Amino acid sequence: MLNPDEYFEPLGELEKGEEAVAVESKSFWKDVWDRFCGNKKALAGLVLLGIIVLIAIIGPIISPYPYDGMDPSISNQGSGLAHWFGTDQMGRDEFTRVLYGARISLMIGFVATAVNVIIGVIYGGIAGYIGGKTDMVMMRIMDVIYSVPAMIYIILIMLILGSNVYAVMIGICVNGWVNMARIVRSEIITLKEREFSMAAFVLGASKRRILFRHLVINAMGPIIVTATLMVPQAIFNEAFLSFIGIGISAPQASLGTLAQDAKMLLAKYPMQMVYPVAVICLVIFALNFIGEGLEDALNPKGRD
Amino acid sequence: MGEPVIRVEHLKKSFRVKGSFLEKKQYVRAVNDVSFSIEKGETLGIVGESGCGKSTLGRTILKIYQPEEGHIYFEGTDLTDLSEKQMHPYRKKMQMIFQDPYASLNPRFTVGEMIAEPMEIYRMYGRKERMERVRELMEVVGLKPDHIQRYPHEFSGGQRQRIGIARTLALNPEFIVCDEPFSALDVSIQAQIINLLEKIQDEQKISYIVVAHNLNAVRHISHNIGVMYLGRLVEIGPAAKIYSEPLHPYTKALISSIPAADPNSAGMMDRVLLEGEVPSPINVPAGCPFSTRCKYCTEKCRERMPELAEADGRKVACVLFQS
Repeated sequence: MLNPDEYFEPLGELEKGEEAVAVESKSFWKDVWDRFCGNKKALAGLVLLGIIVLIAIIGPIISPYPYDGMDPSISNQGSGLAHWFGTDQMGRDEFTRVLYGARISLMIGFVATAVNVIIGVIYGGIAGYIGGKTDMVMMRIMDVIYSVPAMIYIILIMLILGSNVYAVMIGICVNGWVNMARIVRSEIITLKEREFSMAAFVLGASKRRILFRHLVINAMGPIIVTATLMVPQAIFNEAFLSFIGIGISAPQASLGTLAQDAKMLLAKYPMQMVYPVAVICLVIFALNFIGEGLEDALNPKGRD
Repeated sequence: MGEPVIRVEHLKKSFRVKGSFLEKKQYVRAVNDVSFSIEKGETLGIVGESGCGKSTLGRTILKIYQPEEGHIYFEGTDLTDLSEKQMHPYRKKMQMIFQDPYASLNPRFTVGEMIAEPMEIYRMYGRKERMERVRELMEVVGLKPDHIQRYPHEFSGGQRQRIGIARTLALNPEFIVCDEPFSALDVSIQAQIINLLEKIQDEQKISYIVVAHNLNAVRHISHNIGVMYLGRLVEIGPAAKIYSEPLHPYTKALISSIPAADPNSAGMMDRVLLEGEVPSPINVPAGCPFSTRCKYCTEKCRERMPELAEADGRKVACVLFQS
């Protein structure tokens, strides 16, 4: 027989009516952040992306060479102390150009994604929330937009606006938001049946308030994950367009343009191709890792 | 006595059942020709088995569902055909407490945000006074004001129900529909919530409709009881009368099903066991809906639904008590 006295002792005076709460109060986002930080791969992705973004922003400013400063006397140099990544066939500093290109590529990725998220959330949210015929019509319009290949939109817009950053961005956005709208719509359709949405209605909340303050905030998880994975998609699309020669034109440079420039002399100076492509890879890797990490952090199994 | 807080007349609500498109459209009559009224500071308990339309009735009164026929009056104003915009000022006075405290609180809102929200919607008080009032309300419902920054998942079921009640009270409503407020809680917590609701009623003269299938809890809190069967109100009257001597055969069966604390007590009624199943609400039998299971059923019952008629201090819808 065990003697309970050996194992237990009376508790001291407890404060009256005090319910001890053992766990520190955590908001949903704090919880997600903690879980995200527990994921090494995701955290590495975030650090890597942070470094690339930081260098892309300040690099071209502190670099001694302008991105478009040509000097034929030093064209096609290899890596050295003066030019870390060497120079291209026009004698421009490759390091500065890669950083500058990364800056443009990242900007296109983030801005296009932001636009896609805003349009997608509003469009999908309204379609899902109102439902019925409105939903049907909105979804069919979206199907029509989506049925035309993105490349056709982009090329058409380029013809009108010329080859510049804005044209690429608009081109990517024309049907990039469709996926986001679909995801938001399906989330909203399940969320609007939840009782808290009826509770908000009874409390007198307007449709707009219910949709954007109650429902969209609960759909933030999938929205963020989708958005994170949209950024590398946009960067990749831009790089592809520039590589086939219909993207951003000289002297501006994106990572895709740099790869395209290096194409002609690939056999002789392969390093000019390696640097921009490596940066594209790193950015896309980092963003995909972050996206995956966020997905795990936002939807841990068995949590309500 | 003045105008009752809520008066409902011949309310009807049905839902379409999804069938394939060649089939005839079918409807579930969830609420069928229900009339009653509630005075200020009174509680009407609605009882009946699952699927009899109790919850639908509560939601239709609040115009969460648009009624098909009949009228809803709030202090004499007909709400039936008001648009959502015209309803806005009345929503403030007519509130609801939900069945499932886990589902009816937005998981991304802190308690403070949740209780402050209705006041924000109705632009009551300034920002600072609002927070003050949130703390006050938390105290009223027995929550610690220090927990204002916490999220719903950090609370127990009973505490969440208290959050729901505090949020409802923020608007100073005059009428609250409590949709099975106890069924998600365990017995000791049920008692606490019942006492809280009664305390609030005493202090603020709020009228309630309490929808529930826990007959004992409803008896405790209600002044009047309405018994529903298949969308119809079959008996309505003072709680004491209905519980001590139910008249309608269905009410008898329902009341006799309450387990007694002391099975040998003299007041113990004979068990009335019902034969058969509840008919499908899609094909409600003609005449009295209870006729298929009623042992007193006569030809007359199958022909026509009897009206609610005065009998022994309450109203009963049964041919046995028609004068």
